[in-house]
Amino acid sequence: MSCGTGGKSCETPRRRGAFVMLGIMTLAFVALSLFSFMKSRGQVTPDTVSYGPYRAEDGKRVFQAYNCMGCHTMVGNGAYLGPDLTREYEQAGPAWLAAFLPSAGSWPTAAAVRAQLQDPVQHADSGAGTIEAYESKFPDAATRVARRGGKPSNMPNLPLTRDETGQLIAYLKYTSAMNTEGWPPRVEAEAGPDERLRLALGVQAIAPAAAAPVAPPAAGPADPVARGAQLAKDNGCTACHSTTRQRLVGPGWGGLYGSRVSLADGSSVVADDAYLAESIRQPNAKIVAGYPASVMPGYDTLLKNDEVDAIVAYLHSLEKQ
Amino acid sequence: MQIEYQTQRLSLRFFMLMLVLFLLQVGYGLILATQHIDPSVQAGTMNFNIARAEHLNLGILWILCGFIGAILFVGPLLARREMVAPWLIKLLFYALIFIAVWNFFTLRLAQYGIAGWWHGQPWLQQGLEYLEAGRIAGVLVLVGFAILAYVVLRTFPPVRQWNEIHWGLGLGVTALMAVWVFGLFYVARLDLQEYFRWFVVHYWVEGVWEVIHISLVGFLLVLMFKVDIKSVGFAVFWGVALVWLSGLIGNAHHYFWIGTPEFWQFWGSLFSALEPLPLVFCFWHIYLDAHTNRRPLENAPAFYFILGSVVLEQIGAGILGFSMTFALTNVWSHGTWVTPGHAHLALFGTFGMLGIAAAYYAVPIMRKAPDYDQRLGKLGFWLVLTGVLGLAFAFALGGTVQIYVYRILGLGWFGGDVSRAMGLFKLLLPMFGIVFTVGAGILAYDLFTLGRRVRAPAGTDPRGAIHGEVAMPRGSTGWGRPLSGFEAGIWLMLMWVFGGVITLGLLSFNLPRVRVLADPTLPYLLAGVGYPGLLLVTLAFVWRFLASLEARASLPAPTVVAVDAPLPLPARS
Repeated sequence: MSCGTGGKSCETPRRRGAFVMLGIMTLAFVALSLFSFMKSRGQVTPDTVSYGPYRAEDGKRVFQAYNCMGCHTMVGNGAYLGPDLTREYEQAGPAWLAAFLPSAGSWPTAAAVRAQLQDPVQHADSGAGTIEAYESKFPDAATRVARRGGKPSNMPNLPLTRDETGQLIAYLKYTSAMNTEGWPPRVEAEAGPDERLRLALGVQAIAPAAAAPVAPPAAGPADPVARGAQLAKDNGCTACHSTTRQRLVGPGWGGLYGSRVSLADGSSVVADDAYLAESIRQPNAKIVAGYPASVMPGYDTLLKNDEVDAIVAYLHSLEKQ
Repeated sequence: MQIEYQTQRLSLRFFMLMLVLFLLQVGYGLILATQHIDPSVQAGTMNFNIARAEHLNLGILWILCGFIGAILFVGPLLARREMVAPWLIKLLFYALIFIAVWNFFTLRLAQYGIAGWWHGQPWLQQGLEYLEAGRIAGVLVLVGFAILAYVVLRTFPPVRQWNEIHWGLGLGVTALMAVWVFGLFYVARLDLQEYFRWFVVHYWVEGVWEVIHISLVGFLLVLMFKVDIKSVGFAVFWGVALVWLSGLIGNAHHYFWIGTPEFWQFWGSLFSALEPLPLVFCFWHIYLDAHTNRRPLENAPAFYFILGSVVLEQIGAGILGFSMTFALTNVWSHGTWVTPGHAHLALFGTFGMLGIAAAYYAVPIMRKAPDYDQRLGKLGFWLVLTGVLGLAFAFALGGTVQIYVYRILGLGWFGGDVSRAMGLFKLLLPMFGIVFTVGAGILAYDLFTLGRRVRAPAGTDPRGAIHGEVAMPRGSTGWGRPLSGFEAGIWLMLMWVFGGVITLGLLSFNLPRVRVLADPTLPYLLAGVGYPGLLLVTLAFVWRFLASLEARASLPAPTVVAVDAPLPLPARS
């Protein structure tokens, strides 16, 4: 046989050999792949994980629908603007996530996390009824609340419904349970928290941060409006409600007091003291037209009567905004 | 050279579309770089994930436009006849525009959580990295690939008469379509979804695009340097064979941490460490092909971009890819900024530059302007090369800081410490981004208006830039003397030495001194030497290579240089 003449390529035998090699390697690859997804591997699957009534399988669809991977990594794949989410459920726990996700533009405060813990689903899932028990179970949530609570976050608010939030938590519960062969690598550094900050940012950089906790806790000002403003901040209300007419997650407070509010059921109501107090205690009793129900937790058991009154007084003061 | 077949002209519209999409992608890149510094920019209007989805999507689309343009231009030459079914090619062009516009509107639905679920499939957008487009666009893309494969395979002569370049392109366009099918299913399990997602992403890049790349580079060299097609065929054969033999199981390097078993770490580390072999081979070949015959460069920008493509493939895909391909280094680099450093060089460098090279080769021929002013093209090349190397530098060093703060110190993102520690490198990103953007703008302008601008006045050499100005000071520095094989080897070795330093840097995160005592000195030192070293050597090598080519024009007759190994030609009998 001659090659290179009459249109015959010299590479034909070699090409055949390469195809045979490739075939063998394909078989090896297929075999490895089959082993990877066998039952005996014991990998968790999303159909077995749920969080309350919410299924991880649905959560995965929500995760994709919002293109979470466009900012975050999941099992390390995705974008690098935000943190990796693989172990997010394990670190922050369901209550922190439930407090954070609907109003992602702002970091949840301790009170906001506590508001979520009233939810029986939360209670059953995290096994912690009080904020103290929760924080000792999920120390990472405690750190986040302490360092960032109430501050604006880098994540934009997303129009997540209550169901979508629950489904996302179920999905994150599933990924937390996955065996990812030791990734992300365990942190083994011995340095304490302050030392770590110094190592990461340098001495000067952390000086203002260290000064922050020194600020004395506001000892309940006598003026009800000022007290209401402080309460609204502490309870994380301002994560969802702006003090202007702007819509963040819930309706803005500016000019709300005394105005006529159209409700989702078609009726309308004047935003007086009684309406505002009811909306704080049982937010689902009257839903404003154009807003989804069940996004806001009820503050009935969390706020005392005088505290609700103070917040209403504060809202009253925003009438002219 | 002139147009031999009328259907070659169909490539022009794809090159122009490529440039438009390229500019849009660069624009999105600048927005992303700004949002990295201040995430509130455009928040609520165009969130980061929307801009990023567009950035990735347009990146894929314009690279495909470049491939299609190049294939259409060389296809008739390879087949020695007109392309079949030009109407299908025109349809493909409008389909590409439609897909780009469609994606522009559908990708932003992610902001409202709308995926268009219907029968268990996301029809509008699906929120998976690189495969963001929904099923409607996905099916259209499949139809587009089918058209391309049909047109190319029908145009080519019967398989018996195929040479290696026919084989490379034929396999390439077929596999391009076949692999895409794996991205058209919704998968409920995360591990299985990632498994199949990398089928598309890895096999596209490693299995398909690289095969098309090798074949096109080979054929463009044949056209530009009148190299023997048989000897290029030899290179193409070994390139393609090595790419597939290393890349097939090499895909395992994506299966380290997605929930698949540990044994992938062995297979992935082993086979993907071999993945640079075909790239070294390709690199060596471009040296040989460009230096065996000592013709002066006729179309400098076209060759500049081919060289850029092969060199950036070597350092982006080859060296940086190698550094993070071992389970022990990947465990650190995975999910950090170190990765996009590699990705930008490998994707834009290898495939983007090839598309631009093909455009620079084909457009002057189609516009009948063989003696076009090449200065803008060269300037554009140097700007995008510097820009993309700078981007890789910012990503890689920023990523090294990120690994230390995020994974070693365990300071979560939620404290806001990680991005603060990366601040300097976050600032470098838009700076190099602007250099890149200026370069992209210049070369797009040049290609849009090439052959339509006012010609150089009679009496001056329109290609003055090659012959005159730059050539004169070279004699004293020696940068213009012919590049010997030995010297090219030294340059290549130097790149790999820095690559080794980078790899050791990533590896050093495993040391107890770094991991337990949290002392970052060693990884920072190695990264601080490795990355800038590698990128500067690359810049210098490209400079040296091109200087040696350009100096030929001023040499009356080529002096004898030791071109070490003549091409191992396949035996003829």
